[in-house]
Amino acid sequence: MATVTLENIKKSYPNGFEAVHGLDLSVSEGEFMVLVGPSGCGKTTVLRMVAGLEEVTSGTLSFGNRVMNNVPPRDRDIAMVFQNYALYPHMSVADNIGFALKLRKVPKNDLRQQVSEAAGILGLTNWLDQKPGQLSGGQRQRVAMGRAIVREPSVFLMDEPLSNLDAKLRVQMRAEVSRIQRKLGVATFYVTHDQTEAMTMGDRVAVLNNGSLQQCDVPQVLYDRPKNIFVAAFIGSPSMNLYEASLSDDRTTLSLGSQSIKLPEELFKVRSRLTNYAGRKLVIGARPEHLTIAGESDQPYIKGDVDLIEALGSELLVHFSIDARRVQAAGIQEDLETGFSISGEGVAKADPRTKVTIGSRVQIGIYVEGIQFFDPSSGDAIWD
Amino acid sequence: MNVTGIKIDSPPRTSNGGSTKVESHKRRLSTSPGRVAIFVVLSIVSVVIMYPFYFMAVTSMRSQSQYELGKGFSFASWIRLFQSVPVAKEMLNSLIVCTFAIVIILALATSAGFALAKAHFRGHGFVLLGIVGGMMIPVQSIIIPEYVNFVRLHLINNYFGAILVYVAVGTPFATFLMTTYFRGIPEELIDAGRCDGLGYTGVFTRIALPIAKPALATVVVLQFIPIWNDLLVGLLFLQEPNVRTFTVGLGVLASSRVVSIPGLMAGSLLSTIPAAAIYVIFQKYLVSGLTLGASK
Ligand SMILES: Nc1ncnc2c1ncn2[C@@H]1O[C@H](COP(=O)(O)OP(=O)(O)O)[C@@H](O)[C@H]1O
Ligand SMILES: [Mg+2]
Repeated sequence: MATVTLENIKKSYPNGFEAVHGLDLSVSEGEFMVLVGPSGCGKTTVLRMVAGLEEVTSGTLSFGNRVMNNVPPRDRDIAMVFQNYALYPHMSVADNIGFALKLRKVPKNDLRQQVSEAAGILGLTNWLDQKPGQLSGGQRQRVAMGRAIVREPSVFLMDEPLSNLDAKLRVQMRAEVSRIQRKLGVATFYVTHDQTEAMTMGDRVAVLNNGSLQQCDVPQVLYDRPKNIFVAAFIGSPSMNLYEASLSDDRTTLSLGSQSIKLPEELFKVRSRLTNYAGRKLVIGARPEHLTIAGESDQPYIKGDVDLIEALGSELLVHFSIDARRVQAAGIQEDLETGFSISGEGVAKADPRTKVTIGSRVQIGIYVEGIQFFDPSSGDAIWD
Repeated sequence: MNVTGIKIDSPPRTSNGGSTKVESHKRRLSTSPGRVAIFVVLSIVSVVIMYPFYFMAVTSMRSQSQYELGKGFSFASWIRLFQSVPVAKEMLNSLIVCTFAIVIILALATSAGFALAKAHFRGHGFVLLGIVGGMMIPVQSIIIPEYVNFVRLHLINNYFGAILVYVAVGTPFATFLMTTYFRGIPEELIDAGRCDGLGYTGVFTRIALPIAKPALATVVVLQFIPIWNDLLVGLLFLQEPNVRTFTVGLGVLASSRVVSIPGLMAGSLLSTIPAAAIYVIFQKYLVSGLTLGASK
């Protein structure tokens, strides 16, 4: 058991490519840390450095007080679950799970007992004699988990362990992995590109982009107070509506394309730095649930044309367009969850009983307290 | 996707309603002109392959005079073979030479192949290129200098000399085959082994080698047959009776003053048995070894 600390960790691959630029991160005992970010942002690289499978180019990696930079994987007391499970095809499920213990010369009886215990937790008891090739994807995933938990490691590393499962099984395993992790109380790095997984599983979530840490915090803070446009756009589904806007000189109105809304004076008390943007451009963001499709309301509103309606049962996702410029965060593919994004398009969550039709022009009420403001050049959030 | 490298055939679907239709369709196929043509071609091929065995078997069952007459059967030639050739001793010599050569080839080819495929050392491409180049060198072109060298090293009429030649000739291809096979092992599997507590040697012996069983079987079969059947190297390097291999013994028999064709046929038939046996034993693995590239 140990706290894992990464201090100014950098990684350059032999071809000269710097995949991780100075990462600071620490995961305490029992903590579930999720590394999330778009594909290619360096998540696997970070994980492999912690495992010792990839050399740390510079910086310090330590478990507790011990510097681990040059310790080989087998002496790190880590267990890793791989995206493709990486089960030994020539060994039975029992041997796969017990392999690490066998290498540690754990007595046969203890080994057998620990393996069957792990198999019990994961519901694999009836499959112990099978070869991995005879198992379904979900079962293989469990074996991979079993192989990791049976060792009672001091650090748990998982690289997109659920991404090869179908949607339903993924949701089920999500809860199961969380449950097992809490039970073991081991410092855990969990890599995923799926923000839903990150939000639901992580004690804290570290958002990475292009090899740099964007923000690391508990999920709710990432959602409510994203540090920059990237985090704002990446976390949340459907993602935040981000538009280019400008604040009037007297900072009472915000123009969005050809439309404008009034901003209450209290807003500037909460976000004093916003006053610096009077008469300037900025980027605003509004979560879909902070927009309401309403006939009449006392909220500030803009008008938009309805392009598409997705009925999810519990709510409607109303896709609309306005003539303001939509802001894309570099590196995010919008097709992750909801589909697509056209310039000027936004999404609002509405009550399923709302009467809207495609092609109509509707009033979109804005919950002003929920609006996020970002500096257009740096992309950083404008808070206090 | 097939991460574990194991492929299982899905069981035939019998519960589906259309199955009878499929079966009748198959039955119709079996008498279709295409099927008949395939059957005819395969029959001809098997006759071509089987005829020498038939000829050996029939001829060996005749004495010299029965052979000349073309009728009658007896065990005379078999008896004479065992009287004139120390069959057991020469078979044992063959087995010794084959076994050691193959063990050494396997040791070299697996360790080199693994390093070439997975150690990612600088310049491995050139090394592999050199090894592939080695495959192109025919044994005939190096056999004379080799002989001269081995005379100086006192390795003539010594098992070890012949074994060395077989190893030199067989290792390049075996290494190439093993390299190709090891390349197909996912990197993650090796990483998993390293996390579980293995070092380089452990990964090699406990993960790579067991997974490579089909490739090992392929190497064994592909090396055993030519080494067992070899005459050239044996004739040059193992001339003395006490180290002669069986094929050399037969060669001596064939070049003696009076050549007994039935006796030779008996010997030839006998010499095909071990090679055939090896093939039968390993063929289960061999098939998957040779089709490896297709499933990966
Ligand atoms: N062995 C390598 N050599 C060079 N570049 C690599 C290597 N492995 C990964 N990269 C690059 O490093 C970046 C991060 O990769 P990775 O950590 O696998 O991303 P992620 O897991 O977040 O998808 C990618 O741009 C990838 O192309
Ligand atoms: Mg990855």
